[in-house]
Amino acid sequence: MKEGFGFRSLHPVVILTYYAGGITFGMLLFHPLVLMAGWAAAVIVNFHLDGGREWRRWSLPMLTGVVLILLMNPLLSHRGRTVLYYLGDIPITLESVVYGITLAISMLNLLTFFVTYRLVMTEQKFLFLFTRVSPKAALIAMMAMGLVPRLRKRMQELMLIQKTRGVTVAEGSMMTRARSGARLVGTLLSWTLEDALQTADSMQARGYGTGTRSSYLGYRFRKRDGLTLIGFVCIAIILIMTWGYGHGFLSIYPRLGSLALSSGDTAALIAYLVFLFLPLVLEWRDRRAWLITNYRR
Amino acid sequence: MAHYELQKVTFTYPQETSPAISSVSLTIKPGEFVVLCGPSGSGKSTLLRLLKREVSPGGTMSGAILLDRMPIQDWPARELAAQVGLVMQNPDNQLVVDTVEHELAFGMENFGLGREAMRRRMAEMAGFFGLEPLLERKTDELSGGQKQTVNLAAVLMLQPKVLLLDEPLAQLDPLAARELLGMIKRLNEEWGITVIMSEHRIDDLLPLADRVVRMEHGKLAYDGDPRAFVLKSWNRSDEAWASALPSITRWALTQSPPEDQPMPDQPPLTVKETMKWLGQSTEASRTGDQVNSEASAQSTKRSEYTGQVQLAAEGLFYAYDKRYSAVLRGLEWQIRSGDWAVLFGGNGSGKSTLLQLLAGLRLPQRGAVRWEGTPFAKLSSKQRYSSVGYLAQNPVLHFAYDSLLDDLRQAASQSGAEDPERGAIEMAERFGITHLLQRHPHDMSGGEQQLGALTITLLGRPQLLLLDEPTKGLDPLAKQRLGEHLRHIHRQGTTLVMATHDIEFAAAYATRCSLLFHGEIVADGDPEAFFQGNLFYATPLHRLLALWEAKSR
Repeated sequence: MKEGFGFRSLHPVVILTYYAGGITFGMLLFHPLVLMAGWAAAVIVNFHLDGGREWRRWSLPMLTGVVLILLMNPLLSHRGRTVLYYLGDIPITLESVVYGITLAISMLNLLTFFVTYRLVMTEQKFLFLFTRVSPKAALIAMMAMGLVPRLRKRMQELMLIQKTRGVTVAEGSMMTRARSGARLVGTLLSWTLEDALQTADSMQARGYGTGTRSSYLGYRFRKRDGLTLIGFVCIAIILIMTWGYGHGFLSIYPRLGSLALSSGDTAALIAYLVFLFLPLVLEWRDRRAWLITNYRR
Repeated sequence: MAHYELQKVTFTYPQETSPAISSVSLTIKPGEFVVLCGPSGSGKSTLLRLLKREVSPGGTMSGAILLDRMPIQDWPARELAAQVGLVMQNPDNQLVVDTVEHELAFGMENFGLGREAMRRRMAEMAGFFGLEPLLERKTDELSGGQKQTVNLAAVLMLQPKVLLLDEPLAQLDPLAARELLGMIKRLNEEWGITVIMSEHRIDDLLPLADRVVRMEHGKLAYDGDPRAFVLKSWNRSDEAWASALPSITRWALTQSPPEDQPMPDQPPLTVKETMKWLGQSTEASRTGDQVNSEASAQSTKRSEYTGQVQLAAEGLFYAYDKRYSAVLRGLEWQIRSGDWAVLFGGNGSGKSTLLQLLAGLRLPQRGAVRWEGTPFAKLSSKQRYSSVGYLAQNPVLHFAYDSLLDDLRQAASQSGAEDPERGAIEMAERFGITHLLQRHPHDMSGGEQQLGALTITLLGRPQLLLLDEPTKGLDPLAKQRLGEHLRHIHRQGTTLVMATHDIEFAAAYATRCSLLFHGEIVADGDPEAFFQGNLFYATPLHRLLALWEAKSR
């Protein structure tokens, strides 16, 4: 719907760079404040793309995972010098609590960031990239993806009709239910295989396998793609350099260091944020264009 | 230069003794529209598949198939695949990839075409077929007619010279079928593509065809002009031949006095031509009356008995999803015992949904279905399924075992028969499918599956039988046989409700017709009154009658 607008208008290669970079830096940097800022940025990106709908849908599972990490780490890891509390004879250390918190934020950050991946990298774009790597595998992947909803639809139809014959998984003893289930799956598979033969015929009839394939999917590499890619690369170099000098970390073990950001940490933080926000520049630009169009009308 | 040339082609499937095609010689000129007809299993599909090397069945073949004077085995793979396009019967199974646009591009990708060339062809073809609004859609969201249009367009992307069509209309409703046929006609006329098309229902095809080829038992039984074909079929007085003719033509031919032999160019194929043909007749007024009585005779059996209300739908309301608009909106309908009711309605009007609700397969969100006064909710599922039988549109759905016999036996024991084996075999004998008992249900032909599924449903001994499009994809003779079986069941006291697009079939058997529109029954009554009031939901004969009345007024 919004394809061709803002962030989504970028070339798949640029989008891939963005996500590859975002995930790498999300894992490399390990400072609760930096990661917290990264998480906030990811949320903002989410809101720009779809008003946060997809993010809200995932928030509960994400939160569960995060709480689990938060609790498990201090219980399982007893490294660190500062013991806060003894749970029975298990020492809970400040360091492992802080480590748990940082790890949890890191996870939350990565997951939130990755929610937008599904919004921006559509199946078509993914296939475009994948076809470059392996055209055949891409075709198989696509057909397999199409098969899942088809199988589900057929299973529903089959179950609807078969229950009139008493072949159902909703009634009867465990044993009969299992047998009925197996029968339904078997019927579904043989039916689908039968049909797959026709699909194969249709592919052959249209010249499949007569030589090398080309790909119809096409995305033009525009000026904005070039500029954005250059921007990504520059920031990535800066970030990796600061990281190389040991910034963007919180030293936790063996003894917790200061939470305050050093100047190097601040540089890493800023670079990280710029990286995450860069595609939004396009979003803002296109939105303004729309506003202007609407005014004139 | 001949496009296709078949020289004494004989083909035998492996492990079969008799050939599927025997000694067929045929020459097809460029730009011809050839209709291939004949009963199921006469070798139509086999012949078409032999013409397309990529999908040719395994087996032994003698004779030669030449394309542009070169045996098709000698053609380079790529060129041959591009020269000859094939569209098959099932709209779903021919789709390979996810979106319409990509599906259309699939063939071109196989040929390794450049992106610019692909885009140009795409633009052209999408324009011709009016597919632009659908390009971004997922293929499995489309209707059957749209899917088949996509299949046709996808084949044409390779710019074939010959188009082979293997019953492409069989799975479509009449409206979609007519649309697709119009497309094929345009391709033939405007682009000069040779069309070889096999089909059971040739009513709409005969006026378009340049040539008719009829197959029987793997041999050519007729090859020539369509109108001469009509006369020949008529004069043979062989039910298998005559039943394939359009009903309007059959009727017009009965009108001609036996002493004047009609001219070969005369037999009318459409309502318009029949009007003209009748105009030439000297006793025009007499004929007019006859149309009237014929038409009423065709839709036989008024509601002879007005029995008890057996099944009643009260204010049915059903929606598949709260985001979509409801399919049924406060529907009221009553089925009386002894009815043979037919339900008409456009595509997606909710006919199938209504039948499933009446069968108790789905429960309405509001309203109730009552069986002899008792709401479905108060009956156990077993009681429901044993009183109301349901035959789905796709007969494959009814089978669950590895052979037809197992399926029948299970159905018989489910209904509490003392000797399921015997019950199953007796029922199979009644429907003449004993020779299929050991077959795997998925290996049977569409018509055989239909009969098998009907047998399974009847073994449950339902008092009311709901049938969803029972005549879909059947050849005329099989359809007639099905009609007779149903009539037999009806006589024995089973109430029948049938959703269908097949107006002629309905006119021949129904005692009551109803029309579903906008989630409600908008017309319900005697077939005669029903058909006379309609122009679209009417047999050609009724249409003729309407025209006749308008003219004489």
